[in-house]
Amino acid sequence: MTSYSESEAVAEDFREALEDVNTNDRHEISNLTLIARENTEHALAISGALVDHIKRIAPHKKLPSLYVLDSIVKNVGTPYTLFFGRKLYHTFMDAYAMVDMGTRRKMDEMLKTWKEPVPGSIDTRPVFPPDVVRPIENALIKVRTTALQQHQAHMKSQQQLLGRGRPTAQGMPYRETPTPPGARPPPQAHGYQLPNHSTNGMSYGQPTQPLPPNYQSHPNMPFPSRSTPQPMPSSSAFQPPPVGGYGMSQAGISTGSLNDDIQRLITAFKAQIAQAPHDPTIQTRLKALVDLQTILQTQNLPQDQLVLVKNQISDLAVTIRASPAQPPTPIPKAQPVAVAPPPPAAAPKVSLDSLFGSGALAALMARSSSTPQVSTPQPPPATVATRSPPPQRAEPQKAAAATPDPMALMNMLRQAGMLPPPTPAVATTPVPISTPVPVPTPSLPFPIPLPIPGATMGNQSRRPVTMETFTGDIALKASSLKQFRPQLLPFLFEAQGPQCTQCGRRFARDEKGKRKKTAHMDWHFKVNQRIAEAEKRGQHRSWLVDEVDWINTRETIDKDHAGHPGDSDAASGGSASKAAKVEYIPVPDDAALAASVCPICQDRFETRWLDDAQEFVWADAMKVGERIYHASCHREATKDGGNTPMVFARSTPEPVLGKRKAEQDELSSVRGKMKTEFA
Amino acid sequence: MSIPGLGQIAPTAVQTTTSAAVSPTTTQSLEPFWEYRFEVAHGSTLNIKLVSGTAEKDGTELAPSTPYAFTATKTRINTWHGCTLEISSEPGAVYDAYTSEPTADETPMVSYVNLHFKLDGLRATAERTGQMGPRVLVIGPPNSGKTSLVRMLTGWATRVGRQPLVVNADCREGMLALPGTLSAAVFATIIDPTSEWGSTPSSGPSPVPVKLPLAYYYGMASPDDNPRFFKRLLSRLAVASTSRLTEDPGVKTSGMLIDSGGVNAKGGYDHIAHIVAEFSVNIVLVVGSERVGSEMQKRFAGQQTSLGETITVVGLDKSGGVVERDAGFMQQVREAAIREYFFGSSKTTLSPFTQQMDFAALSMWKVNQAPTASDEDSYSEAIEKAEPSLMMQNCTLAVMYATVHDTAETIRDSNVMGFVYVAEVDEKRRKLKVLAPVSARLGDRPLLWGSWPEPMVSLVG
Ligand SMILES: [Zn+2]
Ligand SMILES: [Zn+2]
Repeated sequence: MTSYSESEAVAEDFREALEDVNTNDRHEISNLTLIARENTEHALAISGALVDHIKRIAPHKKLPSLYVLDSIVKNVGTPYTLFFGRKLYHTFMDAYAMVDMGTRRKMDEMLKTWKEPVPGSIDTRPVFPPDVVRPIENALIKVRTTALQQHQAHMKSQQQLLGRGRPTAQGMPYRETPTPPGARPPPQAHGYQLPNHSTNGMSYGQPTQPLPPNYQSHPNMPFPSRSTPQPMPSSSAFQPPPVGGYGMSQAGISTGSLNDDIQRLITAFKAQIAQAPHDPTIQTRLKALVDLQTILQTQNLPQDQLVLVKNQISDLAVTIRASPAQPPTPIPKAQPVAVAPPPPAAAPKVSLDSLFGSGALAALMARSSSTPQVSTPQPPPATVATRSPPPQRAEPQKAAAATPDPMALMNMLRQAGMLPPPTPAVATTPVPISTPVPVPTPSLPFPIPLPIPGATMGNQSRRPVTMETFTGDIALKASSLKQFRPQLLPFLFEAQGPQCTQCGRRFARDEKGKRKKTAHMDWHFKVNQRIAEAEKRGQHRSWLVDEVDWINTRETIDKDHAGHPGDSDAASGGSASKAAKVEYIPVPDDAALAASVCPICQDRFETRWLDDAQEFVWADAMKVGERIYHASCHREATKDGGNTPMVFARSTPEPVLGKRKAEQDELSSVRGKMKTEFA
Repeated sequence: MSIPGLGQIAPTAVQTTTSAAVSPTTTQSLEPFWEYRFEVAHGSTLNIKLVSGTAEKDGTELAPSTPYAFTATKTRINTWHGCTLEISSEPGAVYDAYTSEPTADETPMVSYVNLHFKLDGLRATAERTGQMGPRVLVIGPPNSGKTSLVRMLTGWATRVGRQPLVVNADCREGMLALPGTLSAAVFATIIDPTSEWGSTPSSGPSPVPVKLPLAYYYGMASPDDNPRFFKRLLSRLAVASTSRLTEDPGVKTSGMLIDSGGVNAKGGYDHIAHIVAEFSVNIVLVVGSERVGSEMQKRFAGQQTSLGETITVVGLDKSGGVVERDAGFMQQVREAAIREYFFGSSKTTLSPFTQQMDFAALSMWKVNQAPTASDEDSYSEAIEKAEPSLMMQNCTLAVMYATVHDTAETIRDSNVMGFVYVAEVDEKRRKLKVLAPVSARLGDRPLLWGSWPEPMVSLVG
């Protein structure tokens, strides 16, 4: 049995070893691969440590760690492929968002090889199954397409702005050491690839394998293959290729100037906090600003939305000026904020996940899954091949099949209270920050509108895929639990569909949900009808059921019970007729009668909660005179005689004495069973 | 205890005590994470309607534009997205209300909802692998909001289609049964937000689906009154619960949520360990006490469940709004539960029946206290035959699923069929007048007489 602490220790060692991997050193990578191979029983902890490491380290150090991942999945395979596979999308895309162009190209190459079998291996299956790799590919294609389109649009209409823009890179520390692709020692893409995939043939330091031809071909790559250093403004995670030496500055509002404004405001707010450290309003606004900054730096927002952002910033600027607690110095416009990049330690903050919690990106993408440009359908899971049977693999991340949609992003921002509700007509001219708009306080728009209809997460695939994926980062520790994860809230709200107006339950918008809702509304209707009747009749509390009946009870939810008792009569009673469907009686209130058994078979009656009737009934039961029989028994006993007295064709004689005994035997046997099995 | 995020300061709470006579209808706007906390006196009603946004009461979402009538309660409505509530009351209604205005960093609700999502992730895993869902025990000092947390986790679980088996191991309060019982029920549908746990089956329909409990009678206020008996009943409940869990697939994946009684200062961890063992608890949530948390950590560190899982202990902050509910209020709550059992609520009126019974026809048993009982002998005497007497007047007796012919052990281990209330004892004529939920005779069902819930004078009269 693997103990938790042992796994922790191994993971800790692994983590330490990872810290030393700063270059694409083949020896280090091999060494870590060996550790991983020798500790497959701790694969979960090790893979977790590596994924965390990739997430945490500075962008310029991400590539070596990704190579470690790559090496492990290719040389060890399962269970690592399973563990990495679950989070691969986030691991890959988060890193991709932060690294420079050169690294991105390396990552593109790496991704390609994951679709192939391990070179030289007898295993013909790809390194990662298509359902793991494809969402990443789709996301990358979308990124490139968007970039290209924006670039083209820009070229057409904004030529006069050429050169006007400036590459802004605030908060992007790795720009401090602009690392042009190729400036680093060539990582020999996959040169560390261990030649032999089998366990005993690990020959480290062997000459590298010849690369498969497809390693170098990038048909999908719209990026110009430039060998010159690229002054890439990396402030945007998914951004167009730099052309002509200018960055992201587009028509109208430039993200660069917005970034500047936001940075100034952040500084001002921080100063305010120093004055009034316990004012939650300022805290909230500061957080909104930081989040906004992140969004700007990692997403390409269309103009109209940039205007919204800009307006929001203007509003905030007004409040900080009007604020009584305003410190003398930080007047937003006037104060030249330190444009120097923050220390490298701040680097990981750039990822969406680090702000909104792991899974935020996928959540955003899931929201945008209703957008038309969703790529080809996923192959059926049947084609997914696992290298070894258990542990069970993660299901394909359907949620991740789509790509980031700025609209969805804006909705999320709105939901988080960072942006006002959509405005019908948006001014196309930016509101200059020097002209304060007389808006009072930009406190959280209230009530915050729920996301637009139809933008719900895929209800069909909500479980089991998503919950496991989406909650993977939550640890059962106070610190992890305290972290607010707004991306999870929709699972309790809009992803469940709209509410029942009578009881507040939510029903999905899909076909299944609609059927459920119909049954549910029927239930309300019937119950409301019956309440009126019951009030005339008089009601009373029912006896509870006994242990055995309780254990055998199954909850029913809005089931249409017409014919429900009959359904199982068919199973037990043999002659399932329409008449049998209504053969139930309410459980007798008389306690003595309630303990009675069928005089024919000496069996007890099956107690059921009949939702439709809202009471306990005995199924397949009928009252004849003062006695209660199984309807099926009674029918059987009287079928050819009509009114002839019961002929008890039971093998058990002693019907009178045996009654109590039979009942007790049955009970004690069930209890005995319970004891032996679960005590 | 430190407030997460901002250190020393407490969540902003703006007192808005309302005098109902002045303004019968008010509007209350809540921003995200805020809570509307209110206390309504017995006999008064506060109507709350969700006008816009979303709102929950203990994990159950309020329907839009539907008035909810709260009475005899201390509770709260929280919001994740912000909301507007319309609040109204009859003139003269006695209630107290204020808004609590924490941020995301301050409210423990964030931890609670994350916990739910984590549990749902574990349930998804259990569903996929055919394993048992998480078994979660909630412990903590009295008034730390344990029951509220269990109810929240239950409400959220049913909202995402789960069917958790909820266990009440707190004999002081009842869950879907009167105080003095230990009970379990599967929750597959919503809990009526205006109630604690919803209602149990009656002969008529219920506008909110009823829940079906399995209850065992302990009849005393504290596990210390008869520790061996208490543990014995917990074991019974665990066996039945585990059986249900194993045989009911939807319940199996959803797992269990177990509410325990408060852990007192001088220990009292003994029955906690018993619950953990008997219910194969793999997650222990400690609310509102770092001390108890570390005690539990010590106690369960390195231990495994019967299924070989590690036992995880998690410390949680208690909700800032958990108020000390004084003894008088709690007694009123118990009396309200007894009244509701026989007479129903404002929504559904029930008609109980009175019956005259001869002493001779009764099988009456008394639950004995045995605080220090450690040997099997005194334990088997947990119940003993009792002659009906004036002492029983105004008491609530449990009707057991057993017969007069059964042994004391069988009767003691049986589950509860229902309750009767002793309205009158005539020792001279040797007759007893009881209030029973149903009109039919009790037959040969044994009756158990305990000291909890305490006698209630004002039920009939
Ligand atoms: Zn409904
Ligand atoms: Zn029969």
